[in-house]
Amino acid sequence: MDAPEPTVNAADAAGRSGRSLGADAARRLSRDKAAVACFAIILVYAAIAIIAPFAYSGWKDNLDYANAVQPPSLKHWLGTDKFGRDVLQETLLGAQVSMTVGVMSNIIAVPLGMILGALAGYFGRWIDDLVVWLYTTLSSIPGIVALIAIKFAFYGKVLFAGTFLQMDLSGLAGIYIALGILSWIGTCRYVRAEVMKLRELDYVVAARAIGRGDLAILARHIMPNVLHIGIIMFSLGFVGAVMAEVILSYLGLGVGAGVSSWGSMINAARMDLVVGRWWELTAAVTAMFILVLALNIFGDRLRDALDPRLRNV
Amino acid sequence: MAAYIIRRLIQSVFTIFGVMLVTFLLFRVVPGDISANYVSAKLGKEARQAWLVNHGLDKPRISNPACRYEFWKAPFWDTQFCRHVYDCVTFQSRSYATNERLIDIIAQKAPYSLAITVPGLAMSWVLSMIVSCLVAYYRGSWIDRAGVFISVLGMCIPFLAYMIVGQWIAFQIYPPAAYGLRFKMNIYVPVLISVVAGIGSHVRFYRTIILDEVNRDYVRTAMAKGVPLPGILFQHVLKNCMLPILTDLVLAIPFLIMGVMLLENFFGIPGLGSLIVNSVSARDVPIITALTFLTALVYTLGLLVTDVLYGVFDPRIRLR
Repeated sequence: MDAPEPTVNAADAAGRSGRSLGADAARRLSRDKAAVACFAIILVYAAIAIIAPFAYSGWKDNLDYANAVQPPSLKHWLGTDKFGRDVLQETLLGAQVSMTVGVMSNIIAVPLGMILGALAGYFGRWIDDLVVWLYTTLSSIPGIVALIAIKFAFYGKVLFAGTFLQMDLSGLAGIYIALGILSWIGTCRYVRAEVMKLRELDYVVAARAIGRGDLAILARHIMPNVLHIGIIMFSLGFVGAVMAEVILSYLGLGVGAGVSSWGSMINAARMDLVVGRWWELTAAVTAMFILVLALNIFGDRLRDALDPRLRNV
Repeated sequence: MAAYIIRRLIQSVFTIFGVMLVTFLLFRVVPGDISANYVSAKLGKEARQAWLVNHGLDKPRISNPACRYEFWKAPFWDTQFCRHVYDCVTFQSRSYATNERLIDIIAQKAPYSLAITVPGLAMSWVLSMIVSCLVAYYRGSWIDRAGVFISVLGMCIPFLAYMIVGQWIAFQIYPPAAYGLRFKMNIYVPVLISVVAGIGSHVRFYRTIILDEVNRDYVRTAMAKGVPLPGILFQHVLKNCMLPILTDLVLAIPFLIMGVMLLENFFGIPGLGSLIVNSVSARDVPIITALTFLTALVYTLGLLVTDVLYGVFDPRIRLR
């Protein structure tokens, strides 16, 4: 899958010296056809996630028992489910859950991992011990068990009830938080190791020598140099979050009733293959497969463009 | 060396204590009162109180207000947290639903889980090692590209799809093979599914490690000396790749005990994995707590053993 490096001639090399890491990575990615194609697919999914809930807002109550479990036809391109609802619409609606889970859980996880990792790596000593203890403890509980356990603990809980921040922890908000507090570990580990190296570099020592405060050094001099790890972990964590949501919804611990998600579609259709109803399962699996494939390939290319050393992640 | 081992031991003790703390918070504190799942509201307050007393849930959670600091008195230790720690260490807690002792439940169910995961892990390891060596040997050629492409496709197919389609195929071949354990051979259906589902990500991971090693100086030296390519790959490179690959293997062990949760549940195999899924829906707290703790314990011990062995074989690690 590794694309050959574009040959660099002298003028190009001279031009590259003035380019920032981000600009360089963007240039490499935009030349990489596979990366551009995958990015386009991800954008299409994002657009579907935004548009579908408005376009098919009445899907849930659109019951039509006369046309239940129909195979794909011209009227219903992907057939209908047990209640006569259109499977294509359900699949498109499912994109919303997957995309928001991917984004929201990483919005919690990545900054958490970066902040804890940077603090642990920079200050060392007891802060480091505490953070390392925290993540070894969390990582020694197998991921899926921990996820199920947290969703179990969240059952029926509502956070900030009555305010505008009201969150129903047994539904989607619970998935964001559960995935968020479990998936910061990888980010934290890499950021911590990187900050430990950066801390000893001359420019950081110089900043300390002229009397800049620790937090200023962290914010102005160290964080910008580990930001790319955050971006890489965001794209890799996205895949994990999408897959975890599908498994949780499949187990009935994910989204609440009435919300369409690929996991609950697979759950509803799990005994259907035997009786020859393949369309609901195929639609959900294919939608998820294409998204995960695009995210995986794009994440790989992004990582190679930003920091090839992280290849073993 | 002794100092290194002692340091790792102390760290492991802290980790295990941390797991106790996390499981206590998650299962005892956050869910709140779960007695309603076991005692019908119609039975009244007395029945509920009797149930709470019976399971030690009437006690103070972490510290006893009667004697907060006098740790030499017995009531100081008579709290839910102390009982939780005791239960974790001894595995003596009883299921809320059936009142069976946990150790008996594990002894009864673990063989089913191990019967799936041990052959599954062994087969998938051997198979992915062979494929990744092959792919690394032909690196840059169409075999490599096809191999990597197929493994990326394989790891993007959701696990649930493998499971459902695998059962369907088993059903087409011989219907009783698709569910339950009427025949002992049925267990190989989930084993095969777990092998096929896991191979993509394994091949990709091992190939990256092998290719990292291929670019080292000693490989160039061996090539310059005229050692043939298979000799370099299988004698020198593979030996040096073994450390990360073996860690990967050791870290898979806790998942062995857990079994393949989804597969067990789906194929009706009464192992630990389906036990935990069912306990979650039944809110059987002692079982979930103990199984989570057990997996974490095995994982921590596995990590400890690997780290000590690393220290034995690689002196550089001890200094860190």
